[in-house]
Order: sequence, then structure tokens, then C-alpha cells
Amino acid sequence: MIAVGVDPRVTGAQRYSVDVEREGMLHAAFVRSPHAHAEVREVDASAVPAECVVLVPEDVAGLGPCGCQARDQHVLAGPARYAGDVVAAVAAPTREAARAAARLVEVDYEERPAVFDAVAAVAPGAPLLHADAAASAQDAVSIGVRPLAGTNVCHRFQIHHGDVAAGFAEADVVVEEAFRTAGAAHAPMEPHAALAEWEDGRLTVWTGTQTPFNTRTDLAGLFGLAEEDVRIVAPPMGGSFGAKTFVRTEAVVAALARKAGRPVKVVLDRTEEFVTLNRHPATIRVRIGARRDGTLVAKELDCWVDTGAYADCGPGVATKLGYAGVGPYRIPHVRVDSLAVYTNLPPNGAYRGYGAMQSVWASERTMDVLADRLGVSPLELRRRNLLHDGDRFATGEVMHDVQFERCLQAAADAVGYEDDPRGKGLCVLLKGMQTPSRAAIVVERTPVGFLLRSAGCEMGQGVRQSLRLQGAALLDCEPGQIEVPDPDTDTTPYDTRTTSSRTTHMMGRALAEAVADLRSNGAGRGFGEIVNEGGLDPDTGQGVASTHWHQGAAAARVAVDEETGKVTIRDLHAAVYAGRVVHREGAELQNEGSMVMGLGTAMFEALDVGEGQIANANLSDYNLPALGDLPARFTHELVEREGAEVHGLGETALPPVPAAIGNALYSLGLDVRELPITAERVLDAVDGREGAGKAAA
Amino acid sequence: MSTGPVSWEAPATLDEALALRARHGDEATVVAGGTFLGILLNQGFIRPVRLLSLGRVAGLREIEVAGGELRLGAMATHRNVERHPGVREGWPAIAHAFSVVASRRVRNQATVGGVLADADYASDPPAVLAAHDARVVLRSPAAEREVRISELIRGYYETCIASEELLVGVRVPPAPQRAVYRKFRSRSREDRPCVAVAAARAGDELRVVVGAVAQTPQAFPEVCAAAAGRRPDRALAEEVGRRYAERIEPLADARGSAAYRRRVTAVEVRRAVEALAEEAPDGARAADGRAGREGRP
Repeated sequence: MIAVGVDPRVTGAQRYSVDVEREGMLHAAFVRSPHAHAEVREVDASAVPAECVVLVPEDVAGLGPCGCQARDQHVLAGPARYAGDVVAAVAAPTREAARAAARLVEVDYEERPAVFDAVAAVAPGAPLLHADAAASAQDAVSIGVRPLAGTNVCHRFQIHHGDVAAGFAEADVVVEEAFRTAGAAHAPMEPHAALAEWEDGRLTVWTGTQTPFNTRTDLAGLFGLAEEDVRIVAPPMGGSFGAKTFVRTEAVVAALARKAGRPVKVVLDRTEEFVTLNRHPATIRVRIGARRDGTLVAKELDCWVDTGAYADCGPGVATKLGYAGVGPYRIPHVRVDSLAVYTNLPPNGAYRGYGAMQSVWASERTMDVLADRLGVSPLELRRRNLLHDGDRFATGEVMHDVQFERCLQAAADAVGYEDDPRGKGLCVLLKGMQTPSRAAIVVERTPVGFLLRSAGCEMGQGVRQSLRLQGAALLDCEPGQIEVPDPDTDTTPYDTRTTSSRTTHMMGRALAEAVADLRSNGAGRGFGEIVNEGGLDPDTGQGVASTHWHQGAAAARVAVDEETGKVTIRDLHAAVYAGRVVHREGAELQNEGSMVMGLGTAMFEALDVGEGQIANANLSDYNLPALGDLPARFTHELVEREGAEVHGLGETALPPVPAAIGNALYSLGLDVRELPITAERVLDAVDGREGAGKAAA
Repeated sequence: MSTGPVSWEAPATLDEALALRARHGDEATVVAGGTFLGILLNQGFIRPVRLLSLGRVAGLREIEVAGGELRLGAMATHRNVERHPGVREGWPAIAHAFSVVASRRVRNQATVGGVLADADYASDPPAVLAAHDARVVLRSPAAEREVRISELIRGYYETCIASEELLVGVRVPPAPQRAVYRKFRSRSREDRPCVAVAAARAGDELRVVVGAVAQTPQAFPEVCAAAAGRRPDRALAEEVGRRYAERIEPLADARGSAAYRRRVTAVEVRRAVEALAEEAPDGARAADGRAGREGRP
């Protein structure tokens, strides 16, 4: 039997970051702080066997700080700023020996006061996490970071559009609501894994990462090397969802390898995954005003975005969360104030949806409250205010290729919303793509076809297949004739990163240029690059938020056991604007995966952080959705347009799911403000409805 | 997570297993299906030096119906129990309770003996077995004894199993006229119960056992005795539910607060007792969380 086309992930042939090996390598284990905030007074490694190499604070004293948007991280933490912060590390011949040795490292801590909530962390007198974190100048495409000195605010993003006071004065109805979302784990099947090796002063790191060039920049700065003296190779990942972005384990294994004089590899265990990178919990207050006829006139958003102990890309998340919360609506007067706030929790970073879910939950739930007050249909209220081609968004940019109404109508139709809206809810969203950004690709002729050198990272989303398909169409060959090796910063041209659903869109455009170059230069090698300009002024929110908009909608139909609060989701539908579809099966799987994650976010997933210790740091207590949790009708569609360009769609179907379900409950008079929508919260809402005497419909 | 050499012993006969258990006592961690033990090991909660596997012991996987009694071997898997024609025919509520545990992958591995000896408060089988007045068979090299579930499970992960004993099986008396098991999950379908209610009617006798709400399965014989002989109608069901809810001292975990569990206990006990009055349509597939017969897999 010929195994043509058998997926190597199924046969086991696929090698991942966890599979990388080098001769003579050691295995690392990390010593983590049990305290949420503590000075590290002394690290005593005298009990560790001589065969092990131990990385202690003195070893890294000369190394610079790192961090993609604020340089607030060091190789080893001192002080420890969350329970799980790495304060020392051990390398040994086996992983088991390293873990045993790590337990022998004695650390003397002096505990400090800690804070675990972003709203509490900005209150006067809150414990401060970073006295002097500097904004990172290393990330060429980073946003302007606006820390508030002497506070835990590492970034403040504002939008000032129109005059909100005047806007609210024109409003006949004003609604003000507050919402919260929980922290969540990415939970990819493959944990973080990295292997570092030094040779003649040059550092090579094999690591499962979505950000090879950003990681290279940060490591070069940290070790005082030229960027060319750091090489990052990114094997395929067994899932990431944003977890494997920027420097995670790479700095520690690189420092260990330097001290050991041998390659060092680390593979985290499942418990460690829960203290490595999570999703930002957020508290969001929305105030919105409308005229009696449903025309929106003013909106204010105040957002507290908990970035945990280190900023990571929290400033970026707070920014995108801030403008996504405005929603895809024409609103003449808008004020947004979005704070990325340090707390003594594990760092929070990129997570599929990148801030949009949190603010869309708040914003779209508020739309239904407003519709209720105005006595209009939530669908009609949205339709009346949706952005269309040529409209100006709150950032001042003019919208193009706008398909919100098509997405919303498709979602509404899928659940028969206009026949009977009871037990049904809608949500429509706008989400931006990383802007500014750059993508470049090289195409080379080979004896059997072509080879594409691209830093687009494979994490299961199918980037290699989408490049092959786009390449085959452009090069007039079969996809199987196109080879796509792993990203390698020594041999692949610069790409901003594989995030924000940008790669098929950006790399595809770069590929078209590279193919044109190949055809015209006759050299057997073509180069293509796309540079997108833009970005927002963090103080006014004006500029270009996104060169390309992710647009989608979702609809849900629910049934509620009002004696227990248990919700059954009967139908769930997502409609996502795809422009032109490159790889239909892959695009459909992206929609499904996003919806399943949205379902988990909506109903189950919450990190139990208590007093800083994650109490459910395992996949038994932390509840992910199972196949049996999918609604009886679980459907989605790709909204397409003839002649459109390729639109990113890897995340779009996640953010609208929680609000669609929340609004379906609201149509029954059940007002839930906090995610996840636990049975207990729904039962509280049942009590609240009875108490308030609110009409069910 | 474990370190250092761990000895693994996998005897082929029960006598050998009992001898090893007697020799090593609690130093030997007994391995059945390993689904729970694996979690404990992976999280580093335990670091055993000696593992005693019952996986090769002949005869412990048997499920048999004899003299009207059901006998479950300690190494019978959940999936074996839920699919066994004799269990489905004679003790459908037990078959149902085992069928709603976690996922099929877990049920193919997890065993009857393992789930009882773990004494995890949030497992499904203990409550349903208690409501059927099942006896757990504990054997040492010298003797065998039988204990009720209420004697076996003493607290969180704590049983009355002595250090020289092994749990070798479960004996379930002839089935009551009607029994139900309701698993209320507050989260995923593959989650453990937030509140689990097993109820049985045998002659005039009513038995109601509530699992997952406290350290041990909760039964209040005085409440059930007051209901004996009365028709299990809505009023009686409500009364039993209310009294159970008053009497339990619920715990709080990720699946629900204590106050929430108390409230759901009243509802779910009521529903379980009401279901005792219903006759399940013969051969019909019982809805999830409902009583009665499991359909074809």
C-alpha cells in the first residue's frame, strides 16, 4: 500500500520541537518560586550532584533584560513576581535527574505583599511589581508603549474620537454595564520545548515558536550578540494558540547551555504550562448612548487588562482589546481607556482572539441590554449602526471591504432569529491584524519543483499547505512539488511573526511578488516582500489600526434548566469573512477550532488563581470542552466575495461565541456578566430575574 | 515526575498478589487501571517506591451474575460493566452510572476496584453501588471480609482497607424494583459530577445516596425511613429532596460552591425520587443523566 497523502501527524513521522535532539545534550529543569511575590535572598545549590550544571543568579547578573514590548524580564527572576517564576535552573544528563536535582536547590525567599486583580493593582497603595521597566526598543514593529510611572500600569491605550460629553448629551437612552472575563490556558497538546547550543560564540535555538525573528532579537539583546550571531529554527508545533510567542523558555536554556558548554534542552510538563503564558483576564466597563431611533451617539470603554507579572505583549493586547471593544459600528463620539496592568499572576500574552474576545463579550452583551431598553430587536439595532464601506471607524481610518452585515445576517438566519428570537443570541465583531508588519519570502527552483523559504510557522493551522496551494497556483505546478522547510532565521527572510491570522494573507502577497521576481530575473531564485504601514497613536487611538479587517458573527440558541442553571447549547453558528478562500478544508477547520475554543471560554474555562497559586493547573480540574459538549447543530460558513483578496480567519470565530451565548440567555431574561457562564452564575441570574421582576421577553 | 528506581511487580495469581501486599504493606502502591494514579504521579503528588500491579492477576476481571447476585471483579473496567448484558438487564442504573464516567478512553482503562479504593469524592460508582447496598470484598492472605460502601469510604481518598488487604471485588444483591442514577454535571459532559444522586426502591424501602457533595457518599436513612411505604409522588420527592439538602454539609470546588450544591441537591434528589415512580419504557434509551436502561453503545 502506498502511503501517499497520509498525514505525518497521524503516522508519527512528523517531528516537533519536543523531538529535537543534539549529540551530548543535557536536559533542563527549572526551580520555580512557590511564592507569588518574594525577594530571592540566596540560592544554595550545594546539594546538587556534581554531574549537574546549575544556573544561579550570579551566572546571569551581566545579562541584559528582555521582553517584546517592555524590557521587564531577566533570565532568572529576582524578585520572583509570581508563583512559578523561574529563579534557578539545572541541567543534567536526563530529564529525571534534572528534575530530581532541581528539588535539591534550596532558595531563601523573603515574601512581599502581592496583588492578584488588575483593578486592585491600580489602586493607590497596591504592591508595585516593576520599579523601572523600560519600553522595549528592540521590536521594530512594536507599538508605542505608554507606562504610567510609579504604578503597575505598563501601558495605557486611549481613543479620543469626537466629544463623548456632547455625544451623551444627545442620547435618549444611556446604558452602563460592567463585565469580567477569566484567565485561561492555551492547553496545546505539545508543551513548550526548546534546545539551545553554542558554537564559537554563536547561539542556535531550536524552539517551537510563532515568533522566530522576535525571539532572535530578544536573545541577541540579552546576550549582547549581533542578531546574525543568533539562529532560531522553528520546527512545527503541536498546537500553540498564542502560547509559544516571544521569549518563553529560550533564555534560560541558552544561559544554561552557555554555562554547561553543551547543548541543553527543556520540555515543560503540563503543570508548568499553566504558569508559562495564559490569557489576560479583563474587567471592562461599557457606557453607550443612543437616540430613541436606535442611532448610536456615544460610547465609553474603561478596560483593566491583567497582564500578570511581565508585560509580554500585554500592551498590544490592551490596545487591540480597546479598539475591538468599540465594535463594528458608526459611533461619532468614542472614548476608550485601556490599561495593561501588572499583577502577581503568571504572565498573560497572546491567545487566539488577542483581546477581542474580552471586549467583544462586554460590548456585544451591552448592545442587547441597550436594545432591550430601546425596545428594538438586537438584530435591528446592530444593522442600523454597522460600519459599511467608506465609513470612518473610531480610529479615524476609512473602512474597506466591509462585510459585517453579511456575516451578521448569515448568523441570524442560521438560527432563525427573525422568526423567533427567544432563547437566541447574536454577536458581530471586528478584529484587527498586526499593523504595521512585514512579510518576505524566497522562492527557489529545485530539480523537482520549487522551495519556499518563509518564516511562517506551522502550528497545526496549515501554513505550509496554504503556501503550497498558493505557490502551485502561481507557479503552475502541483502542491506536492513545493517544499517548505522549517523557518530558520539563517536562511529565511524576515517576517514579523506568525500571529494575528496574518500569514496566509501577508505571505501569500509576498509570494506573488517573489514568483514575479523569479520569472523576471531568470536567476532561479525570486524574492518578494510586503510592507504594511500603519499603527495607532497610543494617546489618541488615531491612525491605522489594521490594514485588513477580520470580520465575523455568531449566533447561538440555548435551553436552560432553570432549577440548576445548566445551559444546553442547541445551535451554534459562526459566519466568518474569508474574502477569497485558499485552502477550504483548512479554513473550515480553523472555524471549527475557533468555535470549540470559544465554547470553552464561554462555558467552562477559568484559571483558579486564588491567592496567586493556580489551583487547577492540570487537565482534570481545568475544564476543556470535549466532543460531547458540541451543540447538536454546530455549523459555520465562510463568507466569500468574488475578486476579494485573501482574508485571515484563524481566530475570528472565537471571540463572538461567548457573547452570542450570553445574549441568548439574556433573551430569556438571564443576565450573566462574567465569563465563564457557569451553571451557578446562570442560577444567580434566574434569581436576579425573579428579584427584578424583569420580563422574560 | 518520579525519581529513582521504582519497582514494578505484576504477579499472575491472587495469592502471589496478596503475599506481596502483605509483605510490603502500604509501601506497595496498588495499580489497577492507573487512570487516577497516573494523574497523581504526573503531578508529583505521590512518589511511590514500589508499584504492585493487579493487571496480570487471573480472575479479577470477571463479571458474573449468580444466584441473583451481581459480582464485579476488582479489575473489571468501567466499560466492561456498562456493556455487560447481565448488568444492563438486571442492574441498569449501575450500568448507566459506569457509562457516564469521563470518556470512553478512560472507561476502557478505569476499574471497579480502582475507583472504590481511590475513594475520590467526585467519582460516580460509589453512590450508585451504595444505593444498591453493595458489599466490597476485601481479602488478606488469612481472611476475607465484606464491607458496605459506607464503611469502605471514610473520607477524602481514605478507606478502611488494611495494609495487608486487597480489594478483590464487589457483590451486589438482587436489584431493587427500580433504581436510578442521576449525574448532574455543572461543566463538560466529560467532567465529574457536581451532584450525583442514586436512588432505589426495594419493596417499601427507599434508599437515596448523594455523591460528590461531601467527603463520602451521603445517605440519611431516617429521611428515607420516613418515606417508606409512601408513593414516590412529587410531594414526597420534594420533601426528601429538601431534607437531604438540609442535612448535607456540602463542600465547594471548581464544580460549584457549597450553597449551589445544596440547592442542586434538593432538585436532583427530587428528580431522582420522582423518576422511581416512572416506569422506564422497555428497551428505550435513557436520556443522559436520567435513570434506567442504557441503550446500545
